[in-house]
Amino acid sequence: MSYCVNCGVELDDTARFCPLCHTPVLNPSQPVNISAPPPFPDERGEVPPAVKRDAAILLSSMLVSVAVCCGVLNMFLKPERTWSVYVIGAAVMLWLWLVPPLLDRGMHVLLRLLVDVLAVALYVLFIALNLDGWTWYMGLALPIILWGGALLLLLGLTLWVKRRSLLTTVTVLIGSVGVFLLGVELLIDRFLNQSWEPGWSLVVLTVCAGLVIPLLVVRRVPSLREEARRRFHM
Amino acid sequence: MPKEKKKKPEWYPLDNAGVLYSAIQKETYSAIYRFSALMTERVDPAALQRAVDKTMPRFPSFAVRIKKGAFWYYCEPNDAPGPFLKKDIANPCQPVRFREDNGWLVRFYYYEKRISIEVFHAISDGGGTLVLFKTLLAVYLRELGHVIPNTCGILDVNESPRREEREDAYARYAGKKVLRNPLGGKAYPNTGTPEPFYTLNVTMGFLPLNRLRAKAKEYGASITEYLTAVLLKVLIDKQHREAPRKELPVALAIPINLRGWFPSETLRNFILTVRPCIDPSLGSYTFEEILGRVHHYLRLNINRQQMRAMLTGNVRFTTNKLLRVIPVVLKDPVMALSYHLAGVRPYSGTYTNPGPFPVPEEMAPHIQRMEVILGQATLPRVHCASISYGNQMEITFAGTLAEAETERDFFRFLVQAGIPVKVESNRLARSDLIF
Repeated sequence: MSYCVNCGVELDDTARFCPLCHTPVLNPSQPVNISAPPPFPDERGEVPPAVKRDAAILLSSMLVSVAVCCGVLNMFLKPERTWSVYVIGAAVMLWLWLVPPLLDRGMHVLLRLLVDVLAVALYVLFIALNLDGWTWYMGLALPIILWGGALLLLLGLTLWVKRRSLLTTVTVLIGSVGVFLLGVELLIDRFLNQSWEPGWSLVVLTVCAGLVIPLLVVRRVPSLREEARRRFHM
Repeated sequence: MPKEKKKKPEWYPLDNAGVLYSAIQKETYSAIYRFSALMTERVDPAALQRAVDKTMPRFPSFAVRIKKGAFWYYCEPNDAPGPFLKKDIANPCQPVRFREDNGWLVRFYYYEKRISIEVFHAISDGGGTLVLFKTLLAVYLRELGHVIPNTCGILDVNESPRREEREDAYARYAGKKVLRNPLGGKAYPNTGTPEPFYTLNVTMGFLPLNRLRAKAKEYGASITEYLTAVLLKVLIDKQHREAPRKELPVALAIPINLRGWFPSETLRNFILTVRPCIDPSLGSYTFEEILGRVHHYLRLNINRQQMRAMLTGNVRFTTNKLLRVIPVVLKDPVMALSYHLAGVRPYSGTYTNPGPFPVPEEMAPHIQRMEVILGQATLPRVHCASISYGNQMEITFAGTLAEAETERDFFRFLVQAGIPVKVESNRLARSDLIF
């Protein structure tokens, strides 16, 4: 039998190190028994994600029911205008947001974001078609949605896929708001005046930059970062 | 004549502990615990499966599934095939799913010489499960050709189950006066770095019971009191080393088996917890002082009257008219929050000692030792549990955190006190990750 030189506890014959302090077992008079079965099995059991099919079915039927009811009501209430398209479109968007993640529990966060952005684009398309607004949809709404979506995907890549500290997360989020609004103004200007004269978005961007700079300094200087972590229990 | 209708299974409500454990059930967390028996021979899985099949009908309170009603969770007899014996795994006490594995809330495993049972806490506590486990071991040994009498708490599997075994003992003993302990403040959390889901690091220590008893007697304390004091001391010192700005109180949850105080044959839940607490911000305590406080606290607070008033408060919760009409989907998050505030935040850990495991002398030569594992906590912290068999005390630390500091300090303390400790762990299975 071997004992841990640090802890003084007796170890199992199959132990290659002390489970309490990880000191390796080096006992020339009794080498580690590698032929005997270890005290616990090696094979890990996996926990399957819980199935949420019932919740998905319930949610789908509720959304379908709302869409059908509003569609029927539209035939009697102001039938000259197809207002129910807004409700049906919203139901479709909500379904795309909520149900696929319930059915596929292991859905990648980036794929989920992509589906969510496309759902918004689809809903706005419904509205545009109903209002005969193909021009503004293609010229303004779709580019803004895609720009926002692209930024969200980028955020997903930087924040969700790899865990970041709270400080980094806040810095990146504030920075992205500034960049997003800069893009929005660019798209609006190009749609209305076919030119780009940055105005209000520059103000927002400057405010965001002002907020980000101290955070970046804290993030870069180890002593400050440690202090912030201690003060805020991060 | 109309055809005889298919009889609907007879449902019954969960007891108040069951209500709580079902409400805090999540995809990543279930209140599960495990008992194991290390036999002297390798386990015969076919004989063990036959023993499970013969034993389970005698224990209808375990052969249940939990269903979500509109207002409460409830129990229903489970007539699905099973439970089936499985090969043991490295990461025990995995969360249950109410709708999967045929709804079984009891699992049986085997590995080499070890037989294990895992139970979801909503259907029974350790006291009830040990009756099932002991009966199962007796039936298994009979399957192997040994003659085992039905003594020392082994139930006769040929008898039909009795109603008293399924009673809600909390409701039976609830009185009129409610004792509400004030909500304990935040205790030292003793959390560590969470391991990836799902990992449960288990470390077991084995020590001679006579040496431990003699040591406890030196201080005029019982074994439970002594081990509780050791754990408190270890946690106080650990917090002190971490040098926080303000030292928080260190408190443990100690479950008390109420069957010893209120006669009941129930195999369902019948426990309450007490909270010995040391506040290191008042000054440093020696081990003797801690042990003295634990000793007197447990003797003062564990009494029939106080415990009855405490359980009355818990029973009132499930019979409250206002709470009854709140749908379960709304009740779950509120209960999860109140469990966090009243059952997690004021504690640094749990220590449970179901005590000795007496068996008939015909059975004793076939069992080497007993083991117990308290499954994951809602936070990455370790839980401690112990059980004794013959002259061997087994103490387990289990948790979903990477560090082994608590158990290291605990076992080192015992070694320094002159009690020899042998340690086994499932961390060994992952040695490649460390070197």
